[in-house]
Amino acid sequence: MSTRRTVRSGGPAARTPLSRRGFLAGGAAVLAAGLAACGDRTSLVAAAPSGSTGRLSIGAIPDQDPEVLQRLYRTVADSMSGALDLDVAYQPVTDYAAAVSLFRTGDLDLVWFGGLTGVQARLQTPGARPLAQRDIDADFHSIFVVNTATGLPPSEDLTPLAGLRFTYGSETSTSGRLMPAYFLQEQGVDPAGFPGGPGFSGSHDATLALVASGSYQAGVLNEQVWTARSEEGAVDPAVVRYSRTPAYYDYHWLLGPQATERLGEELPGRLTGYFTGLSADDPADAEVLDLFGAGAFIPTEAGNYDRIEQIGRRLGLIS
Amino acid sequence: MDAGERVAVVGPSGAGKSTLLGLANAAVPPTGGTVELLGADPSALRGRTLRQLRSRVGTVHQQLELVGQLRVVHNVNAGRLGSWPASRAAWSLVRPQGLPAVLEALDRVQLADRVYERTDRLSGGQRQRVAVARLLVQRPELVLADEPASALDPALADRVLGLLAGLAADRGGALVASLHDPALALRHCTRVVGLVAGRVVLDAPTAALSVRDLADFYGAPR
Amino acid sequence: MTAVLDAPPVARPRLHRVRARWGWGLGAVAVVVWSLAGAGLFAGEVVNPAGRAQFGRFASAALSPALDAEFLRVLVTGALVTLAYAALGAALAVLLGALGAVAVARTTWGRRRLGWTLTRGALAVPRGLHEAVWGLLLVNVLGLDPWVGVLAIGLPYGAVTAKVFADLLDEVPRGGHDALLAAGAGRSSAVLYELLPPAAGGLLSYSFYRLECAVRSAVVLGLIGAGGLGYQLSLSFSSLRWEQVWSCVYALALLCLLADVTGRAVRRRLAAPRSSPTRLARDRVLTAAVLGSLALVAWSWWYLAVTPATLFAERTREQLGYVLGAAWPPDTDADLLASVASLAVDTVQMSVIAIAVATVGAVLVAGVAARPPGRMTPGRRLLGTVVRLGLLLLRAVPAPVWALVVLFVLLPGVLPGALALGVYSFGVLGRLAAEATEELDPRPRAALAALGAGPAAGWLYGVLPRATGPVLAFALYRWEVAIRDSVLVGVLGAGGLGALLATQLATFDWGAVATTLVALVLLTLAVDLVSARARQALR
Repeated sequence: MSTRRTVRSGGPAARTPLSRRGFLAGGAAVLAAGLAACGDRTSLVAAAPSGSTGRLSIGAIPDQDPEVLQRLYRTVADSMSGALDLDVAYQPVTDYAAAVSLFRTGDLDLVWFGGLTGVQARLQTPGARPLAQRDIDADFHSIFVVNTATGLPPSEDLTPLAGLRFTYGSETSTSGRLMPAYFLQEQGVDPAGFPGGPGFSGSHDATLALVASGSYQAGVLNEQVWTARSEEGAVDPAVVRYSRTPAYYDYHWLLGPQATERLGEELPGRLTGYFTGLSADDPADAEVLDLFGAGAFIPTEAGNYDRIEQIGRRLGLIS
Repeated sequence: MDAGERVAVVGPSGAGKSTLLGLANAAVPPTGGTVELLGADPSALRGRTLRQLRSRVGTVHQQLELVGQLRVVHNVNAGRLGSWPASRAAWSLVRPQGLPAVLEALDRVQLADRVYERTDRLSGGQRQRVAVARLLVQRPELVLADEPASALDPALADRVLGLLAGLAADRGGALVASLHDPALALRHCTRVVGLVAGRVVLDAPTAALSVRDLADFYGAPR
Repeated sequence: MTAVLDAPPVARPRLHRVRARWGWGLGAVAVVVWSLAGAGLFAGEVVNPAGRAQFGRFASAALSPALDAEFLRVLVTGALVTLAYAALGAALAVLLGALGAVAVARTTWGRRRLGWTLTRGALAVPRGLHEAVWGLLLVNVLGLDPWVGVLAIGLPYGAVTAKVFADLLDEVPRGGHDALLAAGAGRSSAVLYELLPPAAGGLLSYSFYRLECAVRSAVVLGLIGAGGLGYQLSLSFSSLRWEQVWSCVYALALLCLLADVTGRAVRRRLAAPRSSPTRLARDRVLTAAVLGSLALVAWSWWYLAVTPATLFAERTREQLGYVLGAAWPPDTDADLLASVASLAVDTVQMSVIAIAVATVGAVLVAGVAARPPGRMTPGRRLLGTVVRLGLLLLRAVPAPVWALVVLFVLLPGVLPGALALGVYSFGVLGRLAAEATEELDPRPRAALAALGAGPAAGWLYGVLPRATGPVLAFALYRWEVAIRDSVLVGVLGAGGLGALLATQLATFDWGAVATTLVALVLLTLAVDLVSARARQALR
C-alpha cells in the first residue's frame, strides 16, 4: 500500500501537508520565475531605438510561417550578432503596414520585406537600400489554386477565374496580391472584379483553407508556401493547382539610413557580406537559411523592384 | 384544519406568520416534521404532480409579488398558469386569453377600468386588489393570504376578505389569513391562531375571543 | 357604501399599445429586415455546407490545444504582457476618466449648456475609434514603444469612463452638497464629502469592469503588434495552427475569468458592505483589491519598461508632424465620399444584424446562465457553468478569428462579418443579460411557482417582462460598440468601412484614412444618439 503511494506520488520523499514556510518558499519560487520571465522584457515589446547607438534592430514582415520565424528569432539575431560583432535585437511585428511604419520611424533598422512593402518602405524612408535576397526571390512565382468543385483543369489561361469567387492573401502581399493582380490584368481580367469583389484572406494558409471550404472558389498564394504545404501533405484534396505565374522579384533585406549613420559606412557591405556568406554546409548557417526557406542569399539592388513599384502605382497600392 | 374553516393567524412581526403560510404553499421546505397539504405531502412530489397540487393553493403575498412591467390583465391571468400549457401562456401575452373571467374578477375588486394598465402604475391598494383578482381566476381550494388588507381602506378591506372567504367556500376549501386588524379577524374568521416566536400560543374559535384579547398580540392597545 | 361598491362598471378600456414603444419596436424590426436583405439573406444562397470540414478542424482543435512546454512558456510571457497592458491601460482610463468626468459633469457646467454639449461632443472623437485603430495610428507616431498599447486602450476607454463617471456623479442627489456649500464649505470639500461617497461604489465597480474589458482589448492590440497573447494568437492564426490558437484563447479566457471574479467580488462587497459600527475597520476584500490593483499597475509600469520621456521626445513630434501633414486635408473627392457613404450603410447593416443575433441569443441563454437564488440541483448547476464558460469562450475568441471561421461555412459578403461580430457580441451580451437576470427580485417568479406555474410559463410571466428593459438597454449600448468592432472584421471581404480603412492604411493613403475616420466617428455619434433615444423610450 505504502509503496504504491510512493510510486504514485513520484518519489520516496514522504508527503507532509504543505507547511506555511513551504508555501512561502513555493510562492517565492513562483515569483522568482515570474521575474526571470521578465528578464528579456525590453526585447519583448520595446526597443530603445534612438538611445542605444550600438544596437541593430531587425524585423520581418509576417508572411510565411510567421510563428516559426518570430518565435525562433533568436537564431537569426544570434547568428548575425556573432558574425558581425554587433548587438542585434529582433523586434516582432505582426502587421505589414506596421513593419513599414516602424522602418520609417527608425525603430527597425533592417527588415525582411516583401517586394511591395519594400518599395513602400523605401519611398517613405529616403536613403534606405536593399541588401540581399534569397536565391529563390530572383525567380519567384505565385500559384493560382481552385476548388475541385469548379471542375477547372490546370491551364495558363486566367480568364475562367473572372467568374469565380476569388480571394487574395494579405492586401499588400507581393506574391498573394500585387503580382497575381498584375498577371490577371495582363490577361484582361479585372483584378478588382470577381463576383462580390475579391476577398483578402490575410495569409497564404488562410487562402488555402478558404478555397478548400469552397466559400471562395479560387485564390492565389506564394509558391513557396504551396510547395511546402504540398510536401507536408497539409493541402486539402479539394484544392488543386490551377496556374503558375511568370517569375518576378520578391522578398529582400532592406537597411534604413539611420543604421548606417550610427554604425558606420561599412555596415551595408558587412551585412551583405554576412548574408551572402551564409552557407548551407555550416550547421549554424543552415539553421538560419532554413528559417527563411532559402538555399542561399544573393545580393540585390533597388532597380530589381522598379517593375513592382510601377505595378503598385497602377493598381493604386502605392500612392 | 377542516374544509370550510377560516383561520386568522395573528402575532407580532417575526413571529413566523409568513413562514407558516410559506410551508402551506410548499415554498418553504420544512426543517423538521412533515406538511400535509390537501391530502398530499408536497416534499414527496415532483414536477407536474407538484404543480397540480400547488395550483390548488392560492396565495396573496405580503409584498404582492406582481410583475410591475406587465399589464393588469396578464398579472390576473397569471393565476391560471398552473393549468395553462406554456404555449397558451405565451400567446396570452400577445392576445389576452380568457378575458371575460378576468373582467369579472376585476369587477369584483372594482378594477375593471384598469384592466390594460401597467401594474406598476397602480397604487398600493389597487395592486393588492389585482393580487386578489389573480386568486379569483385561479379558483384555489385553499386560500392563503399574508396581510391581504394592509393597504386598503376599511370598507375595501372588508370586501376583499369577504371575497377571499367566499372564494374558499366556493370550492369547499379553507382560508388562512395573517391579519393585522383584530376586528377583521373576528368578523371574517372562524378560528384564530396566535403565534409568538414560532410557537402556537393561542388557538381558539372566534366566538370565544374579543378585540381586546387579540390586541395584546400586536402590542398596541386599541 | 354598498351603493358605491356595487356601482355599475365603467366603460371598459380598450387594449391600447404604447405608441412610442411600438414605433421603436416596429422600426427596429424594419431595420433588421432591411439589414438582412442588404446582407443578401433573401437574395440567394448564403450557406456553404462544403466548408463544414474546415470549420470542424477549427472546432475540434478546441479539444486538443497545444500544450508543449515550449509553447506554454511563450503563453505565460504573453499573458503577463497582456495583463500589464490591460492594467496600465485601465489605470490610464480611470485617471483620464476622473479628470474628464469633472470636465463633462453637469455639476461643473451648471446652466451653461453650450459648454457642456461641446465638451461632451469632444469625447465622441476618442470614443468613436476602435482600440486597434488607435493602435495603428499610434505606431506611426510612437514607433515600437509600450505607450502605443497603453494609450490605445487608455484614450478611448478614458473617454467612455469620463462619460460614465460624470453620469454617476450627476445622479447623486444634490441636497447634501448644496447644504455644505450653504454652510460655507469650499467647492472641493463639498464634492469630497457629499458627492464622492455616494458615488464611490459605482465608480469603483465600473473601474474594475473596465479592467476586464481592457484584457480583451489588449489582445486585440496584440493582433496589430503590441505583443502579448494577442501577438502569439495572431502568429498562430496566420498559419492556421488552430491548436495553438485555442491555447491562446484558453489563456485569455483564464485572464478574463480572473478579472471577472475579482470584479464580481468587489461589486458584491460594494452592494452589501460588511462594516462594524463600533470600529473604524476597512473592508478587507476592498482594501486588498485596491492595493492589489495599485501594485499591479506599478509592476506593469516596470515590466513594460514604460518611460514618459518617449511621449515628449523630438522624434515623436517629428513623426506626429509627418502623419498629420500627410493626413491633412482629408480627401474629399467625390468617388471616395460616395464609397464611404455606401460602405457606411454596409457597416450599419452589419452591426444591426450582429446586435440582433446577439440579443436573441442573450435572451435565450440569460435564464440558464444566471445563478438563481437559493439551492440548485447538481444538473442545473452544471448546465449553468457550462453555458457561462461557453459565453466566456465566445468572447475570448477575437472577432477577426470568428470572421475567418464563419467564412468557412457562409459565402462571402456582409453576413459572415455580421455573424462573426454577432457571435462575439453574444458572448458579451449573454453575460450582461445573465447578470441583469440575477439582479431581478426573485419573489414574483417564486409566487408564480407557488400557484403551480411551470418553468416556461414562470419565465414568460415572471422574468421576461422585467428583464426585457435592461437587456435591450445593454443591447443598444453594444450596438455602438459593434459599429466600432466592425472595423476588425471588415477586411475579409465582409466589406464596410473596416475594409476600406484596412486598404487605406495598407497603402498609406493618409488623406483618405482621415476621411474614413471622420466618417466612423460621425457614424458612432449618430448611433449613440439613436440608441440614447431608444433607451429613453424603453424606460
